[in-house]
Amino acid sequence: MGEQLIIAVSREFGSGGHAVAQLLSERYNIPLYDSNLLEDIANQKNLDAQALGRYDEKSKASFFTRSVRGFSTSPEENLAWMQFKYLKGMADEGKSFVIVGRCAEEVLKDNPNLVTVFVLGNMENKIHRIMERYQTTRDKAAKLIEQQDKKRKSYHNTYCQGKWGDSRNYDLCINSRLGVDKTTDIIAHFIDSERA
Amino acid sequence: MMIAKILALTIFIVMFVLIITDKIEKCLVTLCCGLATAVLVFGLSMHSMSAFTQTLNVRSIFTLGFWYEAGSSSESTSGVNWATIIFLAGMMVMVEGMAKAGFFRWLCMTIAKLVKYKVIPIFLTFMVMSFVLAMFIDSITVILFLAAVTVELAQLLKFNPVPIILSEIFCANLGGSATMCGDPPNIIIGTSLGYSFADFVTNTGLIAVISLVVIVAYFYLCFRKEFGKAGTDVDISKMPSPKSAITDKKAFAISTVIFLIAVALLITHAQTGLTVAFIGTFIAIITLATSGKNAKAILKGVDYKTLLFFIGLFFVVGGLEQTGILEIFAQFIGKVSGGNIMVMIAIIIWVSAIASAFIDNIPFAATMIPVIKTLSATTGADLSVLAWTLAMGTDIGGSATPIGASANVVGTSIASREGYPVTWGKYCKVAVPATIIVILISMVSIYVRYL
Repeated sequence: MGEQLIIAVSREFGSGGHAVAQLLSERYNIPLYDSNLLEDIANQKNLDAQALGRYDEKSKASFFTRSVRGFSTSPEENLAWMQFKYLKGMADEGKSFVIVGRCAEEVLKDNPNLVTVFVLGNMENKIHRIMERYQTTRDKAAKLIEQQDKKRKSYHNTYCQGKWGDSRNYDLCINSRLGVDKTTDIIAHFIDSERA
Repeated sequence: MMIAKILALTIFIVMFVLIITDKIEKCLVTLCCGLATAVLVFGLSMHSMSAFTQTLNVRSIFTLGFWYEAGSSSESTSGVNWATIIFLAGMMVMVEGMAKAGFFRWLCMTIAKLVKYKVIPIFLTFMVMSFVLAMFIDSITVILFLAAVTVELAQLLKFNPVPIILSEIFCANLGGSATMCGDPPNIIIGTSLGYSFADFVTNTGLIAVISLVVIVAYFYLCFRKEFGKAGTDVDISKMPSPKSAITDKKAFAISTVIFLIAVALLITHAQTGLTVAFIGTFIAIITLATSGKNAKAILKGVDYKTLLFFIGLFFVVGGLEQTGILEIFAQFIGKVSGGNIMVMIAIIIWVSAIASAFIDNIPFAATMIPVIKTLSATTGADLSVLAWTLAMGTDIGGSATPIGASANVVGTSIASREGYPVTWGKYCKVAVPATIIVILISMVSIYVRYL
């Protein structure tokens, strides 16, 4: 593994995967990209980031879309391809970064400096985290987790050969039940061992 | 026979639903449905080998009339329309050669340079260029290059490319309606009913040109305020040179000559007697023969999936034809219109336009050809008038929505991938009124000229 470091973090909703990604970004002093990836693209191309955000990480509608020779009418699909292209561009330029979601484990799989992680969590822990974050009831939190994971799975599996959450697609799959800090430490230990 | 009818119709509906849902590769859908037609309709229900061979229609390829026709053409065969498939394959080879040499990018850049990179003149000239190119080349290729160059110019000149791309898409579909080879429904109509390139140009072509004038004015009025002062403070010397688009000078010159030969052969095919199948084959052979080691890459670039899609599609429509379902449909239209040709024209043009706005216009046109043939035979209506009506309805109707025609899909996708998402609302707001305007112009022109 060379100087470049790309950490692709996929996560279940409520698992704390995003917080883990944030800590990894701080630990290695490299930028973190999630929904702000769009802002980056928008700034570079002089586009409206807010308008683009409506289609971010969403699976395409089944009806009223059509594909011709690999081109699709779905704004969601086209935005996804635009982000994939941008990610590949950054990786090819040798940049280091942490990327949350956006099928990065598959989009960047040819990069030798990529580490892919899937963060999952116990249902109970996830519900508590979501109840706290959104100040909501237990039932609503459980429903939200189910809905969001379904959306993430559908988005991911639309563009990737490997299935979302399938351990064979990631270098490391980790349950965050030890807490965000310890989970980050374990991932960092894995990364450091590989880079040593 | 009743079971055969039900099966043929069921297979046809299943095929359409699967095409619309866009979950399975389109060519796989039509080929599987074609196979189901062969086994369930022709085999198990009709026990008719002749229905199968008639629909497969391979024998027609080995007749002289398939390649050369002395006097007026009359290629009224049913089943798989091999002339359309061979012609499309030939044109795909030619276009692939042109694209590889950098022809389309060079043309777009040259025109942009000629109008000194001013946004409004680019907007107007690109609409006309889209129309003219789509008369001879498939609209997907036209939009593929035109939209890509538009986005490139938009980033350099700092304007929103979506209005120009939407206008280009509409004009490409309109240009396609002007000639026999511009849009697949026209090729199918021309080869199935025996009309020539000149027949199309003097009938649908005239309507398309009148519509173009109105549509250019319409899009100008819709979008003139969108561009503001874009492109006014740009250093022209820093713009990419048209010459930089040419990847291989020799290949560029050869592909341009081949394109001109193809245009000349198509324009004169009624006089020379050379059929579109011959022209397609000839153009493909000379493209491959002159492309040297690039021949393999050109062949690889051909869109085989579309060709397979056509074969399956013709088979399923053949099932409807052989079982007599399309005759029933034709009789229904005849009854509803009370034999009144004005009503018949209105029904065909509006139904074709509305259907083509949501479903692929190619299967729709292929299905409607036997219907208008029967309608003409049973009511005495002039077949050519019904053919021009069907052509305009299917070609233009597809412009109304983002999914109506292939060019729309490619154009909106290119814009979206560069960060300019085109929603249904944004698309339809300008395209639906434009479509209605052109359909009305077409209907009135047909009424005034032929009735």
